[in-house]
Amino acid sequence: MEAWRIAILDSFNHFMTRVITFLPNVLAMVTILIGGLLLAWIVKTLLSLFLKAIHFDQVGERWGLRHLLAKGGVDTSPSSLVSRFLFWLIALITLILAISALELNATQMLVAQFFMYLPNLLAALLILIVGYLVALFLSQAVLIAAVNAQVDSAKTLSRAVHWFIMILILTMALYHMGVAEKVLIAAFSILLGGIVLALAIAFGWGGREIARDFLQKWVQKKREKETGPNDAHHL
Amino acid sequence: MGGASSINLEGMKDADLLIGVPLYNNASTLGGVLEAIGKGVTRYFPQARTVLVCSDGGSTDGSEEIFRKTLSPNLQMVFATHPVSPVHKILPPYHGIPGKENALKILFETAQRLQVKACAVVDSSLCSMTPEWVSLLLRPVLEEDFDFIAPLYARHPFEGTISSGILYPLHRVLYRKIIRYPLANDFGASGKVLRHLLSRKIAEDENTRAGVDLWITSQVLTGGFKIGQSFLGPRVQNVRAGQGNLGTMFHQALSTAFRLMEEHQGFWREDGEIQAVAAFGRPEGNPPGGSFDPERMIANFRLGAKALVEIWRMILSPETARGVELLQRLPGSRFSFPPGLWARVIYDFAAGFHRELVHRDHLLKSMIPLYLGWVASFYVENREAPASAVEEKIESLCRIFEDQKPYLLEHWEGKGG
Repeated sequence: MEAWRIAILDSFNHFMTRVITFLPNVLAMVTILIGGLLLAWIVKTLLSLFLKAIHFDQVGERWGLRHLLAKGGVDTSPSSLVSRFLFWLIALITLILAISALELNATQMLVAQFFMYLPNLLAALLILIVGYLVALFLSQAVLIAAVNAQVDSAKTLSRAVHWFIMILILTMALYHMGVAEKVLIAAFSILLGGIVLALAIAFGWGGREIARDFLQKWVQKKREKETGPNDAHHL
Repeated sequence: MGGASSINLEGMKDADLLIGVPLYNNASTLGGVLEAIGKGVTRYFPQARTVLVCSDGGSTDGSEEIFRKTLSPNLQMVFATHPVSPVHKILPPYHGIPGKENALKILFETAQRLQVKACAVVDSSLCSMTPEWVSLLLRPVLEEDFDFIAPLYARHPFEGTISSGILYPLHRVLYRKIIRYPLANDFGASGKVLRHLLSRKIAEDENTRAGVDLWITSQVLTGGFKIGQSFLGPRVQNVRAGQGNLGTMFHQALSTAFRLMEEHQGFWREDGEIQAVAAFGRPEGNPPGGSFDPERMIANFRLGAKALVEIWRMILSPETARGVELLQRLPGSRFSFPPGLWARVIYDFAAGFHRELVHRDHLLKSMIPLYLGWVASFYVENREAPASAVEEKIESLCRIFEDQKPYLLEHWEGKGG
C-alpha cells in the first residue's frame, strides 16, 4: 500500500515538476502571442494611415490593381489589403515564435525551417507584385502605341506582351521559392523556344506573304516619318 | 546656366525696343526673318534704339554665320547662346527650339537690363514674316499701353485643330479672355510682363520645358494684364523632319495645358465673365491647307474605341463613355462627334490627368484616337462651308465648353460619376 502511495506521489511530483518547469514557457508563449498580435494591429493601423496619406489607393487604381481585385471578386481597397497582409504576416511570425517559446523538440526544427524559408517566400511575393505591375504598365504602353500606329492586332500584341512578362515573372518567383528549379528552367526554355519556333515557322513559311506586306508597310511608314508628310498642321 | 549677365552688350546701357529670336538650326529661314525685322524697324521705328538678340541652342547648320553676315543700319545685333536640356536634344519640342525657355529667359533678362519699353519675340523658322509684324507686335505696347500682344494668324480653317478644338475653347473657359491662338509663338510684351514672367521662374518651371508658349499665355492671362491681339497674316513655318509628329506634339501641348490647369485652378474655379480683347491690324484671307484623310482618322478612332475602351472607361464618366461607345457603332456616312460630348471628353481627360486615374503618359496618348475622331467629324461636317462659317462653328464649340464648365468643376476632384 505504502509502495503504491509512494509511486503515485512520485509520479505526481514528477508531473508537477515538469508543469512548473514548462509553465514559464507557456507564459512566454502567451506573452509573445499577445504582444505580437498587438504589434501586428498597431503596424496595420499605422500602415493603413500612411498608405491613405500617400494616396496609395489612387495609385493602385491608376495601375489597375483595383480593377484586378474587382475581377477576382475582392471588394477591398489596395491599402486595406496591404495592411491586412502585413497584419497576418506578423501574426504568423508571432505564432511561430510563440510555438518556439515552448521549446519542444518537435517544433524547433519546424521553426528553424520556416525562418530559413521566409526570405525566399517574401522575395517571391515581391517579384510577383512588381512583375505584375511591370506587365500591366508595359502591356498598356504597347496597346496605346500600337493603336496610334494603326496596328489592327494591337490588343493581341498587348496581351502577348502581358503574358510573356507574367510567365517570366512566375518562373522567376517559383525558382526563388525553390520549387522544382530544374524542371522550371527546362519548361520555360522549351516554352520560349517553342513560341519563337512557332513564330518563325508561321512567319517564314506559313505567312511569307503577310510577313512581306508587314515589312513593306513598316519600311514605308519609317520613310514617311523621316521625309514627311508631317502632322504639324494639327497645332 | 547662362543668363543675360553673360551676354556681351558692347557698352549698351539702355534701349527702347528689344526683338528676340530664339534659334536652332534655322539657317534656311533666319536670313528672311532678320531682313523682315530690319525693314520693320527702319520703316516703323527709325528713331528708336532697337536691339536684336538671337539666342541659339547650339546650331550646327551655319545659322550663326548667317546672323554675323546680316547688317541692319537701325539695329544693334547681339548673338547669345542658351543651354539645352539633354531630353530636348533627343526629343525636340513641338516648337522646334530646344531649350526655348532658357532662350526666352536670356531675352527677358537682357530686355530688363536695357530697360526697354517693349519687347517682341518671333520664331526663327518663319517663312512668312513681314516687316509689318514688328509694328503689329510692338506699337500697341508702346503707344496704347498694352502689356501683352498675342498673335492672330490667318490659317486654313482645318489647320491647327489641336488649337481650335482643344486649346482655344479650354483657355477661353479657364482664363476668361478670348485669345484665339493661346500658343504664343510670336508675341509683344511690356517690361511689366517680362518682370512678371521672370518672377514666375520661366526657365525653372517644369511646365515650360514642353510648352513654354502656352505657359507664357497662361501666366499673362492670370496676371491681370492688359492684353490685345494682332492680325499677323499667315504663319508659314519651316518644319524639320520628325518635329511635326502628332503623338509628340499632342502629348507636349496637352500635358502642358493640363498641368497649367492644376497650377491655376484657384483662378479658373472662380466664376467670371469671359471678355473679348482688342485686336490690331486687318484680318487676311486664309491660305490653302494640307490634305485631310477623314476615313483614316475615323478608322483610327474605331480601332481606339475597340482596343482602348477599358482605359477610356477608367477616365471618362459613365455617361460620356456610353456616348463615345455609341459613336463607334455609327456607320461612316453618319459619323458625327457631338460638340457637347467632345467638351465632356476633354474635361474628363483633364480631370483624369489631375487625379492620375491612369499613368499620365498613357492617358494623353490614349486620347489621340478620340481627337482624330473629332477632327474627322468636324472636317466632314464643314468641308463645304466657307472659312467664316467654320470659324463660327469653332465659336459655337467654345460656347458649349462654357456651358459645360459645371461638369468640369464637378468632375475635377472626382465628385461626379
